[in-house]
Amino acid sequence: MATGNLNLLRNAFSKLRIDHVFTRSLQRPRYRPPYWYAPKESATSDEFLTQENKQFIEEVMQDKMQLQNSLQSPLVNIDQNETPTWNPQTRRVGLIARKIGNYPLWTKDGKKVLTTLLQVVDNHVIKYIPPEEFNPMKTSSVQWKEKRKLGCMLVGSETIDPSTVTREYCGLFSNAGMLPKRHLFRFMVSPESYISPGTPLYATHFRVGDYIDVRAKTMDRGFQGVMKRWGFKGMPASHGVTKTHRRPGNIGSGGEKARVWPGTKMPGHMGNRWRMLRGVKILRINTQHNVIWTLGVAIPGETGATCYLFDTVLPLKKHSSSPPFPTQPLVDDLPLEYFDESIQRFDERSITYEEV
Amino acid sequence: MALAIRRSSSEVFGAAKWFIRRDCRVLSTVPERAEEKPVTPKRERQAVSRVRASARNPNLGLRHAYPEFLPDPNPKWRNSLREKLERSDMLKRRSQIDIPEFYVGSILAVTIADPHAQGKTNRFVGICIERKGCGLRAEFTLRNVVDHQGVEVRYDLYDPTVQSIQVLRLEKRLDDKLLYLRDALPEYSTFSFDMDPEILPEGTPVPVNPVQVKLKPRPWLERWERQELKGVANIEEHLKEKDRVRRELRATPWEKYDLMKQYRKTIPIEDQNDIWAEVNHQLRQLQLTRKTSARKRTFTTPKPQLG
Amino acid sequence: MFKSLITKLNCVQTSRTFHTTACLNEVRLLSRLRVVDNSEIGKRAMAEGKPPKVICVYNKKHVGYIGDRVMVAIKGQKKKGILVGLKQKQNVKVPKFDSNNVVLIDDNGTPLGNRIHVPIPTILRTILKEKTHSKGADYTKLLGIATRFV
Repeated sequence: MATGNLNLLRNAFSKLRIDHVFTRSLQRPRYRPPYWYAPKESATSDEFLTQENKQFIEEVMQDKMQLQNSLQSPLVNIDQNETPTWNPQTRRVGLIARKIGNYPLWTKDGKKVLTTLLQVVDNHVIKYIPPEEFNPMKTSSVQWKEKRKLGCMLVGSETIDPSTVTREYCGLFSNAGMLPKRHLFRFMVSPESYISPGTPLYATHFRVGDYIDVRAKTMDRGFQGVMKRWGFKGMPASHGVTKTHRRPGNIGSGGEKARVWPGTKMPGHMGNRWRMLRGVKILRINTQHNVIWTLGVAIPGETGATCYLFDTVLPLKKHSSSPPFPTQPLVDDLPLEYFDESIQRFDERSITYEEV
Repeated sequence: MALAIRRSSSEVFGAAKWFIRRDCRVLSTVPERAEEKPVTPKRERQAVSRVRASARNPNLGLRHAYPEFLPDPNPKWRNSLREKLERSDMLKRRSQIDIPEFYVGSILAVTIADPHAQGKTNRFVGICIERKGCGLRAEFTLRNVVDHQGVEVRYDLYDPTVQSIQVLRLEKRLDDKLLYLRDALPEYSTFSFDMDPEILPEGTPVPVNPVQVKLKPRPWLERWERQELKGVANIEEHLKEKDRVRRELRATPWEKYDLMKQYRKTIPIEDQNDIWAEVNHQLRQLQLTRKTSARKRTFTTPKPQLG
Repeated sequence: MFKSLITKLNCVQTSRTFHTTACLNEVRLLSRLRVVDNSEIGKRAMAEGKPPKVICVYNKKHVGYIGDRVMVAIKGQKKKGILVGLKQKQNVKVPKFDSNNVVLIDDNGTPLGNRIHVPIPTILRTILKEKTHSKGADYTKLLGIATRFV
């Protein structure tokens, strides 16, 4: 009892101390990375491993792979009637894909369109954190009023050898019974689109004709001048111009504003930034290799870049009808390829035009 | 005057530079010559082994007939799955339309569905002067002279609006690109639209047409004299001394020994083997079905005439 | 004799001073064209070695593309014409010609000649139909005098 009173007193005094209040207001929140930012690469060397031990490790790896492959998708057990229905406000989980190149397709009226191919490699749901428990660090001072709380869904892609990563990183996946994955990404989803961990995600998560948003890192171009980075015109090649052919010229004015204004376009590092391309149309889906053909060549990054696919947020291009919700389970008798109705298949007859 | 002197002095300097460089080049050739004796048999052996490899592997012969099945060698754009999907799409298109074997220098007739034309189809006959692009992007250019007006049309090889591609005369020329026909006399690229297809007997190798064209006097579209063309007869008579000197200076005779450059520009034979092994079977099947259906057609056509 | 020599020399000089862009072969201001119809003025200009010069391209880019209307200076007069064949690189399936061809028209779109003696790209049919409006000039009359389409 006495100690309790003492503690109360101490607390009251501590609040009275001015310097304490002062220091507290200056204290920055410590950077608190999400727990799945575990150290990944382990610097193990196999020089002490004997040949037999190496073989044993490989065997274990094979067994684990088989175990993972034989895992049944948890979606099978779920009753169709119990699953909540989709409405335009729900947010579904996205996919992690790899950009694998561009090639042309032709539309039914004979027009050539260039497409980007995105391969969805081995995507699995790793963990779901409901909105009550999910408490990420607020990084910006601007506090957004959350209209609705969203849960956090971790999705991983591309299984890797567990002996190449740290134990902490492997531990992230053990709950779902998975081997570690190369990429791990957080998708904010509404609670009704919950998918239990261990569920594989396929390219058929999206439908042909849907619009998606693609987030990826742009090509790294290094330190670039103003002409390449911002598209300035430069200066003339001749007419008395010396040593200033690709320079920005004036960067500020005099008088009251005799300084360089913040945000002035100047030389600097270009590319290697996260950029979102919104409203990309899906033209074709291959269910065997899980490849998505999207319209256009503007998806950021070079061939082989990782990108994240979401349902689009553009109001005019949102889903009008329910997409596969919460996701498309694995069905054996899916057709090999889906085509948008505007796209000419390669095994169709040649295009002919009707005489009007 | 002072200007003139300066200019002349700079010229002298420039010339001296070139001379020094050329001397250096001469000097550099000396050890090469010394090395040549041991090097040449190796190269021959390589060539022989290559010949043997191509003889052993009939797939490799396909790389000249169907060059677009090989992907772009730029490693930035390589991806095995994309290439595989692209090849399967190409084969699907080939199952719909007969895309024959042809080369730069062959004479083709292409019929396309054209929404602008009167009968909604358009036929063009011409000599193939260029083939480029890999995969579904493959394209070729036909050239002809119609009513004394040179016309060139570019076509996508896998475009679904192409109704038919017919080889009227299957032959090769001495060069990889015949862009110099634009500067040649018009009779070298004039072909009539009602040309009959010339059928080669089966099994004969593709003939090489050794014709050498005559160029019109300058100005030309490109500096043809610097490109080491074999199919041009009268290039020397249009040149001035200045051009010959420049040609000498700009020549890059060492480039054929640049193994790294060759490697960067080609797909290695091991990779090619995989690709051709995948494609070859289906291509052969397509050819066989084409042949049988063609035979059937020849048998069935007389019937309505008789009846 | 002397006069013709002078005109020839002039021609050489003018053709040296003005030319289309070397690599792109674009039809820009002051580029020379080839008249391909049998209008009197066009025939004479071509025979004299004084091909018409572009003095205006009626589009926003100031580079003439296929089917664009241009104003040309021909034998000291201003005439309008339509580009019916271009030397620059064209899209797939659109023919590229060895010269920049023009057909002279008047303000109503009626061609000055009555025959075109070179082939015309078929895509012109669609382009000229799109450019013709009900109250403006009728450019499709040009298609009637064409002898051959490619």
